[in-house]
Amino acid sequence: MALTGLDIFKLLPKTNCKKCGMPTCLAFAMALAQKRTKLEDCPDVSEEAKEKLAAASAPPMRKVVFGTQDNQVQIGQETVMFRHEEKFYNPTVLAVTVSDKLTGKDLTKRIEAVNALQFERIGIKIGARAIALVNDSGSPESFAQAAAAVKDSGDLALILVTQSPDAMAAAVAKTKESVPLLASATPDTAEKMAKIAKENGCPIVAKADSIDALADLTEKIKAEGLEDIVLNLQTQNLRDQLLNLSKMRALALKKVFRPLGYPTISFVTDGDADTQVASAISLICKYAGIVVLDTVEAYALLPMLTAVMNIFTDPQKPVQVEPKVYRIGEPNENSPMMFTTNFSLTYYTVESDVEASRVPSYILVVDTEGTSVLTAYSGDKLNEKTVADAMTKYGVEDLVKHRKLIIPGYVAVMSGKIEEATNWEVMVGPRECSMLPKFLQEVWN
Amino acid sequence: MEESKKKKKKKKFTVRFEPSGLKIKVPAGTVLLEAAHKTGIYLSSICGGDGYCGKCKVIINEGQFKSKPTALLTPDETRENVVLACQTKILSDMTITVPKSHTLETSQILMDTDAQRFSELAGEVREGIFEFDPLVRKIFVEMSPPTVHDHTADHERLYLAIREQIDAPIMQTGFRVLQKLPKLLQSCDYKVTVTIGRRGETTEVIEVEAGNHHERNFAVAVDLGTTTVVAHLTDLTKVATIDTEATYNSQINFGEDYIRRIIYAEENDAFDEMQNRIVHDVNNLIVTLATRQKIDLQEITTVIFAGNTAMIHFLLNLDPTRIRREPYIASAGFVPPIRAAEAGIQINKRGLLYCLPSVAAYVGSDIVAGVLTTRIFTKKGISLFADIGTNGEVVLGNQDWLVCASSSAGPAFEGSGVKHGMRAGAGAIEKLTILDDGSFELKIIGNTHPVGICGSGLLDTLAELFINGIIDRTGRFNPNGQPRLTEGDEGWQFQIAPAGNEHQEIVITQADINNLVRSKAGVFAAIRVLMESTQTKLEDLDAVYLAGGFGNFLNVRQAVTIGMLPDVPLEKIQFVGNTSIAGAKTVMLSRKALKAAEKIAKSMTYFDLMSHQGYMEEFTKANFLPHTDLSLFPSVKSVKCKT
Amino acid sequence: MPVPEVAERFTGSVNRLTLGATKDDGGTRTSTVTVGGARNVVYGGSAADTGEKAVIAMDVLDSKPEDWPDVLLEPYKNVLDSPGDWAKMCVEEFGADLICVKFDGIHPDKNDKDAAHAVKVTEEVLKAVGVPLVLWGCGYDEKDNQVMPKVSGAAKGEKCLIGTVTEDNYKSLTAIAVADGHYLITHAPLDINIAKQINILASDMGFPLERIVTFQATGALGYGIEYAYSIQERQRIAALTGDKMMAMPVICDVGYESWRAKEAKLTDAPGWGDPADRGPTWETATAICLLQAGVDIIRMRHPRAVATVKNFINKVWT
Repeated sequence: MALTGLDIFKLLPKTNCKKCGMPTCLAFAMALAQKRTKLEDCPDVSEEAKEKLAAASAPPMRKVVFGTQDNQVQIGQETVMFRHEEKFYNPTVLAVTVSDKLTGKDLTKRIEAVNALQFERIGIKIGARAIALVNDSGSPESFAQAAAAVKDSGDLALILVTQSPDAMAAAVAKTKESVPLLASATPDTAEKMAKIAKENGCPIVAKADSIDALADLTEKIKAEGLEDIVLNLQTQNLRDQLLNLSKMRALALKKVFRPLGYPTISFVTDGDADTQVASAISLICKYAGIVVLDTVEAYALLPMLTAVMNIFTDPQKPVQVEPKVYRIGEPNENSPMMFTTNFSLTYYTVESDVEASRVPSYILVVDTEGTSVLTAYSGDKLNEKTVADAMTKYGVEDLVKHRKLIIPGYVAVMSGKIEEATNWEVMVGPRECSMLPKFLQEVWN
Repeated sequence: MEESKKKKKKKKFTVRFEPSGLKIKVPAGTVLLEAAHKTGIYLSSICGGDGYCGKCKVIINEGQFKSKPTALLTPDETRENVVLACQTKILSDMTITVPKSHTLETSQILMDTDAQRFSELAGEVREGIFEFDPLVRKIFVEMSPPTVHDHTADHERLYLAIREQIDAPIMQTGFRVLQKLPKLLQSCDYKVTVTIGRRGETTEVIEVEAGNHHERNFAVAVDLGTTTVVAHLTDLTKVATIDTEATYNSQINFGEDYIRRIIYAEENDAFDEMQNRIVHDVNNLIVTLATRQKIDLQEITTVIFAGNTAMIHFLLNLDPTRIRREPYIASAGFVPPIRAAEAGIQINKRGLLYCLPSVAAYVGSDIVAGVLTTRIFTKKGISLFADIGTNGEVVLGNQDWLVCASSSAGPAFEGSGVKHGMRAGAGAIEKLTILDDGSFELKIIGNTHPVGICGSGLLDTLAELFINGIIDRTGRFNPNGQPRLTEGDEGWQFQIAPAGNEHQEIVITQADINNLVRSKAGVFAAIRVLMESTQTKLEDLDAVYLAGGFGNFLNVRQAVTIGMLPDVPLEKIQFVGNTSIAGAKTVMLSRKALKAAEKIAKSMTYFDLMSHQGYMEEFTKANFLPHTDLSLFPSVKSVKCKT
Repeated sequence: MPVPEVAERFTGSVNRLTLGATKDDGGTRTSTVTVGGARNVVYGGSAADTGEKAVIAMDVLDSKPEDWPDVLLEPYKNVLDSPGDWAKMCVEEFGADLICVKFDGIHPDKNDKDAAHAVKVTEEVLKAVGVPLVLWGCGYDEKDNQVMPKVSGAAKGEKCLIGTVTEDNYKSLTAIAVADGHYLITHAPLDINIAKQINILASDMGFPLERIVTFQATGALGYGIEYAYSIQERQRIAALTGDKMMAMPVICDVGYESWRAKEAKLTDAPGWGDPADRGPTWETATAICLLQAGVDIIRMRHPRAVATVKNFINKVWT
């Protein structure tokens, strides 16, 4: 279990010597608890403290990496059940199946279809990150051949899906430089599969049909000298899959039950695209490290990928809105133009009061790194320059004919400087947002 | 084009202020408030010219001007050419009338009622917790004059004699004192009064005088607040506070909080002006105290300051600009003793000026003083200390650890930023009770007619309005069936006292209530952040100390009712008044206390709430009466709801 | 190695409440809907802890929608002017558990229709369908205060879910809803603490907590859904740990929010797939995502999305 700042403080020398670069031992302890610093920075820490802290800081869920270079993906290392408790660290990897029954052009076409599942949202690239090559043919030769093809033309990390150690060995022989994830070892094939994985330096999926069996299996694989394991629990239906993924996550994180301290993989390969969207999103939210899909429909992948992006954002970052000009109602060239900051609470308060005024308006949102008006101004993140820059950047001059800018009452003091920097006339708005309707209705008009 | 426009010299106009008749020439477009300040005319302004406090109203008799639209003037006022000086630009020669209401409210000396009540609080020294060992003391030294057998030089002779009385391993002497020493010693038969001051481990011979004056040694302790400055005159030989005074900080014209003042100083290169203002305020207090007590300024050998970090910077003209910018650092946290005269403070010209050490840019020496005074750093159990000034600083801790934070609570409970708020002085409503029949019982300082409401009165007002269901838990008025509730210029307002022959109506507005609720929310959120970060549970709190210039009759129960302080048994809560000055006095009287203060400052762990991700959430929770988590306030029973 | 027991037990649960009054109960509904009752987090604990199945309230607008994309208008093209027929179609053809009448048309900036119109629509829908109703104002305080009390009266005794009330505007509708025997939707702007505060305020006015459903301004997938998601997870945990002020079932507005997203309505985006598929899928995805955080009532619009989500609910909440 993680130690709190105060727990760690008790283990430190309490000299407030500042040699660690922190003002006090307690500040250092708290930084350590939040993993913002390293214990080595304290020159006077005792051996006993070192031991205790090391034991407490071992991650409860292992990180597993496969693929190489640009295609490398990593999963696991999660620390919490709910994202608000800290954050989710490694976004779920979406993989799409390719069957080894396909050959020639069909195979190439499918690989290309998977490769093409790449999108851009708010300036960030998102997309399918792995190809799951499935040994539908049952033949080691076909599997190996298809694996080589995927390795050559696939842009993504590779998952080799077969129950047969022979097929696996054949495919790995052609692809080991790409560090594929080997799926899967079952209780029956554990030794053989583990041997292949170990010899080729690949991570492996452990697959069983109950949590108990899975725990036994990972112990067995571990005994073969392998640490990089991904869990696959076979279940009858989605419901059981979800319930058990939750249970396994709780066992790993809350009970620190090491045999299940690994990321997971789930397969969503039946049903139409809509159904796959529903199943995949539930698995993304509730604890699958990898979701393997069958569909290559862009309309299905885009919402799944967006869900990954949303659920894995850091909830501790200040909530921000995008800096730009927002239109409230149907403003025209004579409508009021006002600015506020990109701290979402600030923006939404202003927005709702402007809406309430029923005066169609423009709100220019200035990027202040998610701080409120006063905080931004106090900390010099909101000044005449940032305002003028935002006005230029978002083309404020072209939206209205007048040259009057309403500024928040709290920063009335900026009036002069803004007027100088922009040549616009400044009107000082009210300090309290709730007075905005009155201001817009009476003072603006 | 642009360039040539800028270079063009602006036309100048003359502005004349009535009734003083003072005049000034300023460039076209100068803001009227600025012109007034430059002329030396003080217009009330608590927003520092931001155009929202509405205090800087003046009447334009003649001349062209341009005013920004504002909601703070009534149509009548606009008709009568009343303008806000800070929102008005000068476009021609002008004549202005400054209404009487402006006359130097800020330089008025106030009787400080808190100060009197808590003047006893340097008790630590008397109780012997810190041994009596003042930073500056006078000792009477009788040396045997030199002989052929005893040919020690005068200076060394003096040192030996001093060391017979006090512990002073390292000593130094100023050159001027050294130069005058031989003649002086001979003139008075080697019987002198020596003023010695402690400067770290060094002891300085500050002054040597003929004869025995060691009983005439005085010191002034100053609490350098953002809104008010309080001074206590102390007799260093008797460990007694003789007299107290307080004044508004006259920097207030440059902004109600110190961040604004830093920005103002930075933008207008007004650091000297800031220093002059505060030095002037302090000197004013010192002179008033000395005159009243018939003490010669030369007999005051020490001045000691506790205050927030920015105020100490302004006082000494240290660069305060990085206090407001990431990573928020001070120029000095531990200020070495200097000659008071170097900062312009009028005491003995060789007297020493001390500042208590501070913790961080936003936790100043006033808070260190509070910790020292309440002695929470010596206790096994956990104590909470909250100082409600212009900022609300909070300290939590015990003998092993201390954590602190500063919430920008705003000066609402100091009466600033509240329509009829005021300091605890004559005419302040300091206690308010709503009786069962709905009538109000008021207690007014000085038993005179009401002028405004001070901190304790505001606390009562908020609590009483809440428990009587006149406001809901968000602080919004419940408009139904409230005869005292009317719609004023700034929305709903509630009458506290009707107008009388000699006084105006006293009201509390919706904006005031929002302000007070936000203030208390800031403080409680800071408390929660510190408690959560240290896993301190409510029942772990052994003591809660509330400090600040509220007034005399603070009802700690009300501080719990509104959710400013945690709901612990009332006997655990103690109102301790102005601990900043109490701590300053303790340090002044005991070198050990100074060492303790330094240790406190070094060991306190500062939490920056602005970057603390849980703070905003705690603030939202606390921005409710008493709190969103009702289980934190079991003693605050359900509210009568009038709908 | 034996696997340790990990199931967590909680002292509290989400309130269980039944919307709709049948004849026996003094109303005219032919069916009722029970929501809430969860005694654990989503997928936590045993099957008995799951509580009631989540339900879908399909939106019916009081006036013809002006800004709906074609893909969304298509299924309703013949009933857009008749809220009664529209509601009937949602229930009979698309399997809506509830009908949410959204009074957009009374907004002063839209059609500015009066209370008489709103009452007429309410009566029409009550007559057309037997499922319980959700009655949802336009969000403009002044107008809602004029109109919604009348709407409440028109459905008196039907045990509708009516709203929304905010911290700024809760007094009049709360008072009426309690008098008319309805359930109340409390509304907070994506802030768990304000959500709780508005519940306390309603409770201070004497509104029973067990008749409240909470609404956090939902964000669509890609548009801040993570905030709503975490707030809902936190609300569920608060309910389970015994916080009575947070033990309410949750309603979310997936239909409106997801169809505002450009991914749902943009027609010219070749790389994203056919808009006819994209819109319903975006709505589906938004609903499914919120279901993982624990919602009880989902407001939805497109029949295809409704079908997929219902199918998911039936698979997982059996």
